[in-house]
Amino acid sequence: MAEILQYVHKDAFLHQLHPYSKIFFIIIVSLMAIIATSIPFLVFMVVAMLGFAACGKLLRESLQQLKLILVMSVIFILITVITMPGGETLGYVIPAGIPVIGGFIPITSGGLMIGIVLTLRFMILIFAFQLFLISTQPRDIIHAMEKVGLPIDYILMFIIALRFIPTLQIEGQRIHEAQLARGFNPGTGITGKVRSVAPIVIPLVSNALLRSNVLGLTIDMRGYRMGKRTHVRERILFSRDYAVMGILAFVGCGFIALFIGQMV
Amino acid sequence: MIDLTNITYTYPHTVQPALHRVSLSLEKGRCVMVTGPSGAGKTSLCLAASGILHHEYGGKKEGSVIVDGKDVAEYTTLSDLAQNVGVVFDDPEAQMIFTTVEEEILSALEHRGLPASVIEERLAAIMKTTYLENLRDRSPHHLSGGQKQRVALAATLALGNDILILDEPTSELDEYATKRIAAILSDLKQQGKTILLVEHKFNHFRDIVDTLVIMEAGAVTSTGTPEHVLSDERIRAMVMPDFSTIRRTVPPPQADTPIISVQNLHHSYGDVEALCGISLTIRRGEFVAIVGENGSGKTTLVKHFNRLLTPTSGDVIVNGKNTRECSIAMLAHDVGLVFQNPDHMFFADSVRDEIAYGVNNLGIENADTVIDAALRDAGLSSSADLYPRWLSRGERQRLAIACVVAMQPGVIVLDEPTTGLDGNEASVVIDMLKDLQEKGHTILIITHNKEIAQHCADRVILMENGKIVSDTRGA
Repeated sequence: MAEILQYVHKDAFLHQLHPYSKIFFIIIVSLMAIIATSIPFLVFMVVAMLGFAACGKLLRESLQQLKLILVMSVIFILITVITMPGGETLGYVIPAGIPVIGGFIPITSGGLMIGIVLTLRFMILIFAFQLFLISTQPRDIIHAMEKVGLPIDYILMFIIALRFIPTLQIEGQRIHEAQLARGFNPGTGITGKVRSVAPIVIPLVSNALLRSNVLGLTIDMRGYRMGKRTHVRERILFSRDYAVMGILAFVGCGFIALFIGQMV
Repeated sequence: MIDLTNITYTYPHTVQPALHRVSLSLEKGRCVMVTGPSGAGKTSLCLAASGILHHEYGGKKEGSVIVDGKDVAEYTTLSDLAQNVGVVFDDPEAQMIFTTVEEEILSALEHRGLPASVIEERLAAIMKTTYLENLRDRSPHHLSGGQKQRVALAATLALGNDILILDEPTSELDEYATKRIAAILSDLKQQGKTILLVEHKFNHFRDIVDTLVIMEAGAVTSTGTPEHVLSDERIRAMVMPDFSTIRRTVPPPQADTPIISVQNLHHSYGDVEALCGISLTIRRGEFVAIVGENGSGKTTLVKHFNRLLTPTSGDVIVNGKNTRECSIAMLAHDVGLVFQNPDHMFFADSVRDEIAYGVNNLGIENADTVIDAALRDAGLSSSADLYPRWLSRGERQRLAIACVVAMQPGVIVLDEPTTGLDGNEASVVIDMLKDLQEKGHTILIITHNKEIAQHCADRVILMENGKIVSDTRGA
């Protein structure tokens, strides 16, 4: 099963970077993706993200979420096509050939462009965040965030939310199998679908609540919330971190300068 | 080290006390094992002894708990108490917060105010004691139940406390994994740790237990050296059940016709081959036990019987039908599967509705009569209107079986039906299965319990690494 957003233990370039460098990377990449509107440039950025993943030996892990990204992309493009028409009409979502309902919902060049731009931005952000999370141990994320002054309870919440995604996936799968063996029928139509959710969701949520109780006690009993900590194997900023941050700062500033130049 | 005096405790929103005038004394370097039926208050006792009840739960408390010479009320927070007591809970998954084994233990070590060099030293020592050295970089999702439980124990040991409280650390583990935990606890006792252990498997821990405590219905009913406590017949049957006296059943007359036939079955999860060429015939009315270590392919095999899994190659024929040509819903009429954890299936508001779910899904006639019969057979008639999750573990297990029995499948497959149950409760479940066999059902159980396999089944199949290594018939 693909493990969504889980740390992958490897010894490669991205793993060796300090969490700060990677957080700085996310900030610069997000800024650039949000500001840029040119499709070729955004495509270049997507390719660059995959290039970074390959450098960090994480290409396979990065591509695991491709299916989700593609589904989201189609939804994004459909929404913008329907809600933001503009420019030339290129065709119709429901082909004109079909009688009565044919020729509805025009696909316009403007709507399509916005949809594609949003999708590409979305892909860049997902890839960048994913690279950070799968190459950084939660321990290091906690250290880094604590140093910035974030409260430990919020950091733990964030870490635990990520940590239990696969656990819920596996548990959901088991519950699904148990109900299938009882003749569970996923149901058709909207009411059927809604009704068929209960046999899966109720056990999933009840078990998760029970588990969260033990989890909370464990956190307290291990003293994670006390805030005092001996830092072992602490990450320090190496020259490679300064180099990466330098390059990122240069690219980021250059990009913003060009962007402002275009505006003027 | 820990002294409980006359503890009576009632959880918020309940009337019946979970603990009733419980007194218990835990001396330094000793090991006290607490056992008893599910729902007897064993977990509540762990929570009381560790001070968690006092600090985290509301409810009504009487009596006193002294930890390391100080009343629990005098400790300001739970983290403060955690400087003296380490607790390992029964759900290992919930105790793994980080993403690798080493990170989990290291993070726990970092919070003790130790110098960095000592931390590294202790990390190495703990990894060694808990046999985790080869699993250093594994993530929790790639660990077996036994390995996870060892990580939870290791992270607790990292705290360096002298008092350890363990709540059913081996409940879902096989024989081998249980022995490992027992060996670790034996080591820890020699190191001078004080241990409070809640367990059902007395046999595995008999060498280290100094005091045995029996709890029933929230009260301590017997306490003393194991020899003394076990001299009582009734308690002996509960702690060390003798399955050899379980009645033998005569297989029904139609026992010669095959009901499940597996032909050269292979199954792979990605690159991992979980089943390698299984061939097997199960006859109508047989009581078969499948045994083997965790990961030997037992569950993978039985999931093929109702097509939760489809063969990678080979065939499974159930009642004359090739499962490749049947849907899961169709096969639910022929094969019922009771999973290991009953809590994976309960969602209805009452026990009765829970049983009705499967019955209605299959469109079985005379639903009410069928449900009444299933309730009666499971001994749950008086609980029909209760919320399923309020039942004790033993009752929940019987309800899970009743849910499947009511669907009237010819074959009933049960994955670890006696997990987490004491001797008496396990005997009740086995009796229920024997009744079902006499009514003509074919019964297949997956079990870690060798005695149950030997004495209750007509046939024992041993699996190892995805293969059947022996298939023997009982006398």
